Amino acid sequence: MKTVSARLWNRLSSINLTVALCLLLTMDLVWGYFCLNRRTALFTPLNDLGLIPWAQTYGSHNLLATGWFFLLLTLLALLAVNTFACTTSRVAQLLRAKGPGGWQRLALRLAPHVMHYGLIVILAGYLCSYLFTQVLTSSTLAPGSHLSLPGAGGQVQLLAVEPEYYQGERLAFWKNEVIALRARLLLSDNTGQREAFLSCNRPVRFQGYSLHLIDFAPKSLNGMKMKTRIDLHVRKDPGVALYLAGMALFSLGLILYFYQWIVHREAHR
Amino acid sequence: MRMFNILRPGDCILAMAALIILLTAAGCNNDPSATSSAAGKNTDKERPAFLQIGEFAVNRISPERTEVRDGAGRTLVLIPREAPMPTDCAPSQVVRVPVRRVAAYGAFDVAVLRALGVLEQTLVGVTTPKERWHVPDVKRGMESGRIAFLGDAASIDYERLKQSEPELVLTWDPSIIPLMDDLHIPVAVTTTPQAMCLNARMRFVQFLAPFFHKEPEADAFFARIDAALRDIRARTAGATRQPKVMWGDIYEKRVMVEPGNAWVGELVGLAQSNYQFEDVFGTSCIEITVERFLYSGQDADIFFTYRSRDMGATSKAALARLNPLIKDIAPLKNGRAYAPLPHYSQSADKLDEILTEISAILHPEFYPDYQLHYFAELPDVDPVAVKEKSHDHI
Repeated sequence: MKTVSARLWNRLSSINLTVALCLLLTMDLVWGYFCLNRRTALFTPLNDLGLIPWAQTYGSHNLLATGWFFLLLTLLALLAVNTFACTTSRVAQLLRAKGPGGWQRLALRLAPHVMHYGLIVILAGYLCSYLFTQVLTSSTLAPGSHLSLPGAGGQVQLLAVEPEYYQGERLAFWKNEVIALRARLLLSDNTGQREAFLSCNRPVRFQGYSLHLIDFAPKSLNGMKMKTRIDLHVRKDPGVALYLAGMALFSLGLILYFYQWIVHREAHR
Repeated sequence: MRMFNILRPGDCILAMAALIILLTAAGCNNDPSATSSAAGKNTDKERPAFLQIGEFAVNRISPERTEVRDGAGRTLVLIPREAPMPTDCAPSQVVRVPVRRVAAYGAFDVAVLRALGVLEQTLVGVTTPKERWHVPDVKRGMESGRIAFLGDAASIDYERLKQSEPELVLTWDPSIIPLMDDLHIPVAVTTTPQAMCLNARMRFVQFLAPFFHKEPEADAFFARIDAALRDIRARTAGATRQPKVMWGDIYEKRVMVEPGNAWVGELVGLAQSNYQFEDVFGTSCIEITVERFLYSGQDADIFFTYRSRDMGATSKAALARLNPLIKDIAPLKNGRAYAPLPHYSQSADKLDEILTEISAILHPEFYPDYQLHYFAELPDVDPVAVKEKSHDHI
C-alpha cells in the first residue's frame, strides 16, 4: 500500500504535471508580455531593490500588473520541484538497474538527468540573486572623483573616460555619436592599487563586488554640452557562483549526452 | 486532443490552484494610480504607504522615515530635521525635512515648488538669469537677492552655490552628484531616462511634496489636473474628426520630437486625436531621422514646434526658411502650426490650463471663443513681410 508521501512524490514527478506547468507558464508569460510592455517602470527597480523589497512595494501595490510575475515564480518553483522529483525518480531507477557496461555506461545514461539538475541549480542561482544581492544604485563618478565600497575598505576612482565616436558615412544620423565607451578606473585597497577598464558589457570585479556601467554622458560630440560622468551599479551577488555551477553542470550533461549520441550512432552502423 | 487526454485532473488541479489563488489576490487589490479621482480627498491616514510616479517612487516607511527613489534610481531618505542621522545609509542620501532652502536647475522644478506653495520661502538658487524668468515670485526673489543666479547649468558657480547654503539641489544633471557629495548637499534628480507619461507628469508634485511636508497641497493640485483631464475627455468624446498632430522640430541636421510615451503623446490620444509619433518610444525630446519626420508630416494637421518666437518661430514661412526641409510638411502648407510662448516652459504649475489649451487647439469646435495663453498660432508669413510686400505693391 502506497503511503501518502509516496503518492505525493509520484504526483510531483508526473510528466503530466510538467505539461500542465508548461502550458500555464506559456499563458502566464503572454500576460507578462503585455504587463511588461505597458508598465516597464514597475519592473525596472527589481534589478536593484531585490525581490522582497520590490514585492512589498511595487509588487503588492500593483497586483494587476505584477500578478503574472508572482505566478511565474510559483510556476517556476513547481517546475523545479517537478523536475527534481521526476529526475530523481529516474536516476534512482537507473542506479537500481545498473545493468551491463559498468559505471561508464551509467554515467552516459545519466547525461540528460545531469542537465536537469543543472537547470534546477541555475534557477536556484537566479532566485538567490534576486533575494540576496546587495546593490548600490546609480553611483555617479566624474573624472577624479571616487567611490568607497561599503564595508570593504576599497575605493574606486574614475581616471578617464575614453569614448569611441561613430565616424562612418552610412548612418549619417549616428555621426559623432558615442558607439562604445571605456572608463579607466583606479581600484585601491589595503593591498595596493591597480587600473581596470570598465565598459558596457564588461563589468569590473573588485573585492567581491562587480561594477556595472549603467549610463554615461556626454553621448555625442554634437548637441547639448554635458559634463563627463559615468553612472555605476555596484553589486554583490551571491547567486553568480550558483548559476555558474549550474551552467557547468548543464554543460557536463550536454557533453555526456553528445558523447553518448556519437557512441550510440557508431554502434548502430 | 491527445495532449489534453494525458493530463489527469489531479495534476491540473495542483497546477491551477496557484493560478486561481494569485488571480484572486490580484483582483482584490487596486492599482493606486488608477484611482486618481480619489487622490484629492486623501488624508494622511488614507494616503498610500507606497506611491509609484513613473520612474519615481515614495515609500513611507514610518512617520519618521520616508524613502524616495529619484529619476536616476537613487534612494533618498527623508527624516525630520531634529532626528539623529540614520546609520544604514550614506549621509549624502539623507534629506532633513521639511527642506527650507533649495536650489533648482529646471524651470519645471521651480514651477512644482510654486504649485506646492513653497517657492517664496525655500528657493535660493536657479540656473536661469533674471531676465529670462517670467515667474513674478522668482523675479522678485532675484531682485531682492534672496534667489541667486548660480550660473548656466553647464557651468555652475559652485562657490555661489555653496554660499546659497541649499539643503537640497533639484537637478537634471547627475554629473554634479560627486561634487555635491563632497559639499554634503543632497541631490534629487528630477528627470528620468524615459519621458514622463501623463500620469507621472500630473503626479510629480506628489514626489516633491514629502520634501516640504506639503502632501495635502500636492493632492489638491493633482485633483485639479485630474478634473481638467476629465473635462477634456468629456468635451472631446463626441469628436468625429481626429486631427493628426506632430510635436518637435529640426535643428540643423538633428530632428527632435516628443515620443509617444511622453505626456504630450498620451494627451493627444486622450483628446480624440492621433499622435504621429505614437510608435516612437524613449526620452523626452528624442532624436529621430529626417525621413521619419517628413513622412509623418505628409498628412499631419497640426504642428507644435519646440521653437519659441525668439528662436525664430514667428510664422510658417519663417520656420520654412529656418529649415527648408520642412517647408512641404502638410501643417506648414495647409494646416496649423503653433509655437510655445516664452512663459510656457515655466508654467508647469498651470498644467490644467496647458492641457485644456492643447485640447482647445486640437478641437476648437468644442472650445468656442477660447483665447490662447501658452501657445501662439503661427501666421502664414511674418507680419513684417506682409507689410513689406504691400509696400512693394504701392
